Amino acid sequence: MRISTANAFDNGVDILSRRQAEMTSLQDQLTTGKRISKASDDPTAAARAERARASIGRSETSQRAVAASKVLMTQTESNLGNADTLLQRARELLVSAGNGSYGDSERASIADEIRSLREQLFAIANQSDGAGTYLFGGQGATQKPFVDTPTGVQYVAATGQTVTENGTALPLTTDGELAWLQARTGNGVFVTSAAPTVLNATIDSGSVTDPSALTGADYTLQFNVAGGVTTYAVLKNGLPTAVVAAPYVSGQSITVDGMTVAVSGTPAAGDQFQLAPSTPTLGVFAVLDQAVAALKTPGRTSAQIAQGNADSLRDIDAVLGHLQSARSAAGQVLNRIDSETDRLDSQKLASDSERSNAEDVDMVHAISDFQNKQSGYDAALKSYAMVQRLSLFQYVNGG
Amino acid sequence: MSISSLLNIGSRAMNASYAALQTTGNNVANANTAGYSRQTVELATAFSQQTGAGFFGKGVDVATVTRAHSDFLTREAATTASLAAADAARSSQLQRLETVFPTGEAGLGYAAQQMFNAFVDVSNKPQDASARQVVLARVGDLAARFRGASDQIDSIQAGIAQDLRTAVTSINALTTRIADLNRRIASVKGTGHEPNDLLDQRDTAIADLSKIAQVTTVGAADGTVGVFLGGGQKLVLGGEATPLTALADPFDPAKVQIGITEGGTTRAFPDGFIAGGSVAGLLRVQNHDLGDARGLIGQLASAIAGSLNAQQALGLDLGQPPGAGAPLLSVGAASVAPSSGNAQAGGVPVASYVNGLGVRVSSVSIAVVSTSELQPSDYELVADPSLPAGSYRLTRLSDGTAQTVTNGSVVDGFRIDIAAPAPAARDRFLLQPVSPATRSIARVLDDPKGIAAAAPVTASVAAANTGTAAVASLVAVSSSINPNLTATITFTDNSGNFTYSLVDTTGALPTVNGAGSFVAGQPIALNGFELRLNGIPLAGDSLTVARTAFPAGDNGNANALLALRDATFVGERTIAPGVVAPGVNVTDAYASALAAIGVRVQSASYAADQSAAIASDAKNAVAEKSGVNLDEEAARLIQYQQSYQAAAKLLQVAQSVFDTLLQIGR
Repeated sequence: MRISTANAFDNGVDILSRRQAEMTSLQDQLTTGKRISKASDDPTAAARAERARASIGRSETSQRAVAASKVLMTQTESNLGNADTLLQRARELLVSAGNGSYGDSERASIADEIRSLREQLFAIANQSDGAGTYLFGGQGATQKPFVDTPTGVQYVAATGQTVTENGTALPLTTDGELAWLQARTGNGVFVTSAAPTVLNATIDSGSVTDPSALTGADYTLQFNVAGGVTTYAVLKNGLPTAVVAAPYVSGQSITVDGMTVAVSGTPAAGDQFQLAPSTPTLGVFAVLDQAVAALKTPGRTSAQIAQGNADSLRDIDAVLGHLQSARSAAGQVLNRIDSETDRLDSQKLASDSERSNAEDVDMVHAISDFQNKQSGYDAALKSYAMVQRLSLFQYVNGG
Repeated sequence: MSISSLLNIGSRAMNASYAALQTTGNNVANANTAGYSRQTVELATAFSQQTGAGFFGKGVDVATVTRAHSDFLTREAATTASLAAADAARSSQLQRLETVFPTGEAGLGYAAQQMFNAFVDVSNKPQDASARQVVLARVGDLAARFRGASDQIDSIQAGIAQDLRTAVTSINALTTRIADLNRRIASVKGTGHEPNDLLDQRDTAIADLSKIAQVTTVGAADGTVGVFLGGGQKLVLGGEATPLTALADPFDPAKVQIGITEGGTTRAFPDGFIAGGSVAGLLRVQNHDLGDARGLIGQLASAIAGSLNAQQALGLDLGQPPGAGAPLLSVGAASVAPSSGNAQAGGVPVASYVNGLGVRVSSVSIAVVSTSELQPSDYELVADPSLPAGSYRLTRLSDGTAQTVTNGSVVDGFRIDIAAPAPAARDRFLLQPVSPATRSIARVLDDPKGIAAAAPVTASVAAANTGTAAVASLVAVSSSINPNLTATITFTDNSGNFTYSLVDTTGALPTVNGAGSFVAGQPIALNGFELRLNGIPLAGDSLTVARTAFPAGDNGNANALLALRDATFVGERTIAPGVVAPGVNVTDAYASALAAIGVRVQSASYAADQSAAIASDAKNAVAEKSGVNLDEEAARLIQYQQSYQAAAKLLQVAQSVFDTLLQIGR
C-alpha cells in the first residue's frame, strides 16, 4: 500500500481534531452536569425529561394552591375557635340567668353582655384574610358576607365554597350561611314551643323515641281543665286525633308519633304547646338576639323565664354544635393539607429524580470516560509526532 | 560503430535521468497540491542498430510523462464526496433548526406550562390584580417565544436561500471551467501525449462540482467529458456549458428552487432531482424539514390559542358589567398560496376575484373550524382534470395522504371554501392552516381585569337536602350558556331521576321545564353547563345553578383555564363522524415535537458521519493511487541522481576512449 504523504498528514490532523471534539463534548457534559443539552443527544430521554419537568411544574403549582388554602383554612379554624369560646361564654351567661334570685335588672345586664358577645361574633363572621378574601365568603363576596337587617342577619354572598384548582380541590373559603345560619332548630328533629299565653307550664326540648314512627307533621298539645282535672288533646296539622282527653301528670312524658316530650307545671285551660319539624334555619345571631330579647322582657312568670332560658340554651347548644362541626371540618381540611403537602413533596421529588435520570450525567461514568479519551488523545498526539518525524529526506540530507 | 554512438548513449542517458529528476522534483514540489496526480517519466529503449555482430542498443528515450490515475477511483471519490456533502449540509442545517426546539426551561413546552400554571394564583385570589398581571406576562412570554421560534425558522430559510443562490453561482463557474478545460484538452489531443495537468484540473473541477451537486460524467473520444445532472440533464457537453438558475418557489417566494433555462423556457427541477451534493441537502431541509418544524410549532400555537381563547370566552371578566372574556392570544390566520404557475387570464389568475374591499383574492380560501383537530402539515390542493367538476385532490404534505374534497369540505379541523370563478384545470394551491400561526402570534389582552377568572354560573345545594350529593364540579362547556337562566334541579326519587326548571331571571324567556336522570360519574348537562355531583341525591333534594353573583370572588373559570394544562387538545383526529380520537396535552405535544426533531437531527448526524467515513475511504483510495509519497520521491531522487552520475561517467569514458584514439594517430 502506498501512502500519500499529504493525505497522511490530513488524516492525522482529522483524527486529532475528531478526538479533540469528543473530549470537548465530554467536558461540556462534565461542566454542565447534563448529558442532554439538546434533543438530538438522546431524543427519548429529552422527551422524558420534558414530561418530568412539566410534572415538577404541576406539583409546584399545586403546592401554591395548597399554601393558599392553608393560610385561609388556618385563619378560618382559629376564628371558629374564637367563636366557640364566645358562644361558650354566652352559654355560661344564659345558665347563670336561670338563677332564681336574679331580678329583671340582673337579667338585663346579662343581656347586655350577651349583646356584646353577639357583636364580636358578628365581626368574626365577617372576618377577611386581610387581602380581600372573606373567610366565610362562600362562592364569592365583594363586600362583607353578613349584614344586619331589620328581619335579622342576612347572608349576601353566594352560598357554597370556593375551591382551589382541580388537582387539589381544597376549600379557600367556608360557606358562611351553612356555618353560621343553618343549624337545625329544636332538638334536630322537631321543635317544641310554648304559646306566648302559657304562663305556668313549660315544655322540654323533647326527644325521638321511635324514629320509624315520625311523620313530619305539625302537632299541637291542647290543654283543658274541667272539674279540677287537667287533660290534653293532640291535634295533628290542626285536626283532632285519637287522643282527645288524656290525663295530664306534671313532668310525665307524652309520646306522639315517635316523639316524646314532657310538660311540667300547671297548664291552664286553653294552653297550647307546639311540636313542629326541625328546619336548618337556626342562625347564631338570631339565637342570641332571641335570648337578649327574652332576657330583657320584664315581668315574666318564673315558668316563662324557665321556658325562655331552656329554649335559648337548647338553641345555643344547637348553633354551638353546628359551629363546632364547621370548625372540625376546617381542621379536617388542614389535616388533608398536611397529607397533600407530603404527597406533593414526594411527587415533586419523584419527578425531579426522573428528570435527573433522564438528562443528568452519571459523573463516575463520565469522568472515567473522559480519562479514557484523554489518554487516547495523548497517545494520538505522541504517535503523530513520532510518525511524522520519520522521513527519508532526513537520512539523505548529507548524501 | 562510431565513437559518437557511445557519446550519444551517454548524453541520452543523462537526458533521461535529468527528465526523471525533473519529474520527481515536480512531484516533490506538488506533494501538497490538491488534485495533483503523481507523475512518472516513461522510459523506452531507443531502437537498436543492426550490425553484422547483432543488435546494439542505442540508449534510452523519454517516451512520455504519465500520471498515476484511476478513472474508477476518481469517480467513486467524487460520488461519495457528493453524498457526504449532502448529508453534512442537511445535518448542519438541522442542528440550527434544533435550536428552535430547545429542551428544558428555554423551551416552548415549558413556557406553555408556566402560562397555564400561572392561573393557579388567579384561582387562589381571583381579586388579586398582580396574579392576573403575571398571567398576562406569561401569555406574552409564550407568544414571544413562538414568534422567536418562527423568526429563527425564517432566518434558517433565508440562510438556505442565500446558500442555494451562491451554490448555483459556483456550479455555473465550475461548469464553465470544465467546458473550457474540455476545449483545451481536445486541442492538445493530437500531440499524442496526455495533458496531465489539464486532466488533473478537470478532475478537480468535477470533484468540486460533485460536492455541490451530484453529477455523472461520460467521456468522449476527443478527450472531452460530458457532465450530467440527475442522470440526464446536460450541464457540460464538449466545450459548452448550460447554466443553472435559482428560481423563486411558485408558492413561497422566500424559498429557492433550482432550475435551468433551455430553449428560452425556464423550468424548476422536481423535488429530489438532485441526488447529492450540498444543494441536495439544503433543498431537502428547505422543502421538508423546515415545513415540518413550522407545522409542529404552528399546530401547537393554534391549539393553545384556540383552547385558551375558547375557555376564556366561557368565563366572566372583571368588567363593569362583567362580560365574557376577550381573546388572550391571536395567531396568524390560515392562508392559501396559489401557485405562480396557475392559469391566468388578462394578467390575473383565473381562480381569483375582487372582494368587497377592492382587493383581488384567491377563489380558494380556508378557515379553521376546530383548532384541536389541526395537524402539523401544509396541504396541496390540485384541480385534477381527471376528477369530476367541483372536486379537487387534496394531499397532506407531511405524510402524502390524498383525498378528494369539494367546496365546504372540512379536513383536519379546517374548512375549504372554493368560490367562483373555479380554479382552472391543473391549478395548484398550497393550503397552510397552521404554518402562518406563529409568524404573528401575539398577546391581545392588556387589561388584567380582562382575564375571565369567574365562571358564569355557580351551583348551590339546598340546605335542607337529606342526601349526600355535593357539587364536584360545574363547568361551562358551551358559549351558548345563558347566565340569566336559573336552573333548579329537584330529585324526585332515590335513584337519580330529577325534574328541572330553567327560569329566566330577566323574564324575557319563558320558563322551560324538563326531566332527566342522574348517573353517578356522568355530568348533568343543561343550558351549556355540565354539573358533576359527588355523593347520592335523595328524593326531595334540590340544587340550583344560577348566575354568578360576585364574579370578582369566583375562580371557577380560572380553575378551568388551569386545567387546560392537562387537556388533550393538540392533534385530535376525527375518525368517523362524531368519533374523535383524543389528542395530546401541551407537554406531550412539545415533547414529541422535540423528540421528532431530535431523532431527525440524530439520524442526519449519523448519516453525515457515515457518509463522511465512506467518502474519506474513497479519497484515501485515490490518494493511495495518485498521491505523492515523499519517502518514495526521496528514493527516486537518489536513484535518478545515481543514473545521472553513471551517465556522466559514461561520457567521461567515451571522452577518454576518444583521447586514446587521438594519441594513437599522433
